[in-house]
Amino acid sequence: MHAVMPAKAGIHVLALALSLAALPAAAGTDYRRIEGATFQSVLPEALDSKNVTIGRYQLASTPVTNAEFLAFVRAHPQWQRGRAAKLFVDEGYLRHWGGPAGLGSAVPQAPVVQVSWFAADAYCAAQGARLPTWHEWEWVAAADERVTDARQDPVWRQRILGWYAETGTALPRVGRGPANVHGVQDLHGLVWEWVEDFGAMMVSGDNREQGSDPDLMKFCGAGAMTMEQKENYAVMMRIAMLSSLKAAYTTANLGFRCAKDLP
Amino acid sequence: MNRLLSAVMPAKACPERRRRAGIQGLALALALGAGVAPATVPDDSLYQLAMPLTDQAGKPAALDLARGSPVLVTMFYGSCPHVCPMLVSTMQRFERELPEASRGRLRVLMVSLDPERDTPAKLAEVAARHGVDLRRWTLARAGPKDARRLAAALNIQYRQLPDGEFNHSTVITLLDAQGRIQKQTSSLLRLDPEFAAVLKAATRR
Amino acid sequence: MSRAVIVGSFFAVVSLVTACDPRSESAADTGGSAKGDIGAPQGEPIKAVLTSPPLVPPPPVNRKHPAKVIVELEVRELDLEISEGVKYTFWTFGGTVPGSFIRIRQGDTVEFHLKNHPDSKMPHNIDLHGVTGPGGGAASSFTAPGHESQFTFKALNQGLYIYHCATAPVGMHVANGMYGLILVEPPEGLSKVDREFYVVQGDFYTVGKYREKGYQPFDMQKAIDENPTYVLFNGAESALVGEKALKANVGETVRMYVGNGGPNLVSSFHVIGEIFDKLWFEGGTRFQENVQTTLIPAGGAAITEFKLEVPGTYVLVDHSIFRAFNKGALALLKVEGPENKAIYSGKEVDSTYLGDKAVSQAPVAAAAAAAVNGAPTQEQQVAAGGVLYNGTCSVCHQNNGEGLANVFPPLAGSDYLMKDKERAIGIVLNGLTGKVTVNGKPYDSVMPPMSQLTNDEIANILTYSMNSWGNQDGAVTPGEVAKVRALTKRPEGAAH
Repeated sequence: MHAVMPAKAGIHVLALALSLAALPAAAGTDYRRIEGATFQSVLPEALDSKNVTIGRYQLASTPVTNAEFLAFVRAHPQWQRGRAAKLFVDEGYLRHWGGPAGLGSAVPQAPVVQVSWFAADAYCAAQGARLPTWHEWEWVAAADERVTDARQDPVWRQRILGWYAETGTALPRVGRGPANVHGVQDLHGLVWEWVEDFGAMMVSGDNREQGSDPDLMKFCGAGAMTMEQKENYAVMMRIAMLSSLKAAYTTANLGFRCAKDLP
Repeated sequence: MNRLLSAVMPAKACPERRRRAGIQGLALALALGAGVAPATVPDDSLYQLAMPLTDQAGKPAALDLARGSPVLVTMFYGSCPHVCPMLVSTMQRFERELPEASRGRLRVLMVSLDPERDTPAKLAEVAARHGVDLRRWTLARAGPKDARRLAAALNIQYRQLPDGEFNHSTVITLLDAQGRIQKQTSSLLRLDPEFAAVLKAATRR
Repeated sequence: MSRAVIVGSFFAVVSLVTACDPRSESAADTGGSAKGDIGAPQGEPIKAVLTSPPLVPPPPVNRKHPAKVIVELEVRELDLEISEGVKYTFWTFGGTVPGSFIRIRQGDTVEFHLKNHPDSKMPHNIDLHGVTGPGGGAASSFTAPGHESQFTFKALNQGLYIYHCATAPVGMHVANGMYGLILVEPPEGLSKVDREFYVVQGDFYTVGKYREKGYQPFDMQKAIDENPTYVLFNGAESALVGEKALKANVGETVRMYVGNGGPNLVSSFHVIGEIFDKLWFEGGTRFQENVQTTLIPAGGAAITEFKLEVPGTYVLVDHSIFRAFNKGALALLKVEGPENKAIYSGKEVDSTYLGDKAVSQAPVAAAAAAAVNGAPTQEQQVAAGGVLYNGTCSVCHQNNGEGLANVFPPLAGSDYLMKDKERAIGIVLNGLTGKVTVNGKPYDSVMPPMSQLTNDEIANILTYSMNSWGNQDGAVTPGEVAKVRALTKRPEGAAH
């Protein structure tokens, strides 16, 4: 046993973190390689440019399923319903499961929902992965089966709007939608998905405020970000959804998938 | 302790590595003192997030360093030109409004959003610039993932911009002695009277 | 001081004051929000009674002071019928389109709870046009599915206000039915009426055509182009017709709280058969009187009041009339009670008016064809004659041949007609002025000559007359008519 000096504690934490990155992912998760890209984002970062640049990364081809999340809570019982702290999950956490460590009638291959950002974050960390950032998600979600940027295509938009309009349908299994040009499925039409920086959407609760009067006292730096491509209501609705959430929230239509760094 | 490990390690890691990590982790716990004991903390306490920090003196600290006292918590970054200085002076004003006896019971913790650039030296410089009382104030940085988790728990929104600056909201949070969120305020220009009232009650004996 | 002097001084003072006050020409204004705060809430907090359309909550009759009112409104996303056999996903406040009616008084403090049902896919919020404050409440009520938000406001301005969801994209949330009305009564309350109704017009946009059956999704492009598929009162074509029509009675005074949720169209609101005795245009404080049709802006409202005098079915429409008849902007108010003929008689006369053409020429053509090929049968003559009679002779002698008492002699059962065929032909050709006695009754009138009719036509008409209304038999041939035409003189001005 080593005698560890307090000053070195930080280094050991760092070592721990690095060793995690090399661990294998949970069996069965199919990750797709996504090349870096510069693209026009609905949430640009600088006031003078609509473009955003992301480096290459991997993204899971489908959202996390009930079965996969069940394996996670069995291995990490502190994340089971009833045991997870109120700081991390709200009352709806995994309410659709039969029990804290059993699915009951919940469909194993359906995307897991009623999970909070903290729970999603912990799951991905346990896989040696992480949540994708908004821009990483947005870039892959802009694609359809043939092109990387289908956002001007009315068919792409209408397909998404059609899903928003349906109510009360039971969640189908993951992987049934067509794969887009990156080989990723189910980014639309299945569930909302957490992203790592959901808390950086920077939009006001009243969505008619669009950065016309940046409230400097509230937001340091550049002021509240404006949303580009306002006619791209399909994406706008996703941002509206994410900006209504707090990290401990769970909803019946909100799930997630993981991403991994690529050096 | 196991909870800390299990949260970040899958059960299937090879035993030897796990044991090594376990030993290191235990040593870590010993080094940090009694700070890491989330199991006895209330369910809705911020201290459920057990995260290691480094303070402005370069010493290791933990998120619950002020446990047992009411504490003002916020997030900032050292290179912030306008609003973060206002954040500091707002918290100092809240302090000054308190009767002297109460002031001694209040702790303040400021955690950086920018762990890469906010080295202990930089944090110390910010502390000195504002003349904060280091007996009760701590400026610290967390690992990048932990900063995101802390912000999520505190309802603080932030994003790093390409030029290195941050776009972030400003929220001052009052935690009780057990780490539960008692009150939050975003108001910097005026002292939020409701917040001040709750703070006064919290620091009274 | 004498009384006259006192009274005189009083009037002098009053006229002096009013003469100086520039506002004396119009009534004093309410002072708007500057005077809207009439004090802290008193008494126990009240839980607001919310109603589904077309019902309106009862007024707080015994309350004369501002109160704290708690409003709990739930958002639900529901699949409902927009038209028979056509399903649409509506996003609703309180499960209905329009959403629940909220009724409060000026000066009330409202603690507003907005709940978003866990089954909802979308976040929602609320902007109440009666709220003074950022976003009308929208900034403080943004609510994720399965969560609840609360904010408090004081109603400073009286009036009838629209509320709606303001979550991006706002147009889509409104187009899906997320609107309703909140009534902020003046401090003294509105006057009492017999019936109150809640009606809101909206425009709807579906991918499929009007009344195309099945599930119809929302069509964003049509909404941007302002090209609605449906324009409806209360969210469905059947909302206020048939069993669900509004009902009232003769003698009642009806007040309608009418809104226009939009998202795009302005409404030309009109009730067919009624006039708005009082109209609080745009839902404000002043009213106009005696209005037929009022403009209700998108995101606006109006209050109409009218007394019912006559029973029947009154039709609420958007008077941009193709919307009423081709897109569904139609609702019914059924009024029962005793008739009042002095006000409205119903139809008094229903007679044929052919303009300058007979109704159907078919029997005439048949007879004419028969005449060319040989003589028409009596049946053909009677049929043709009937057609010609109606619209020509019937104007005076009536369809039933009864004539008009003391004015035009009857042909039905007429001894005069049946006695002398040649005389009858002569009268039709040349007219008749002066005294005649028919069936024992005297007539002294003028019958104009009908010599413009052809011999065939006159023959057929007379044959018809002699075989109708109890007249037993008779026939006149065109040849007989020709003979009389040749042998008698036409009066001046008549055709040959």
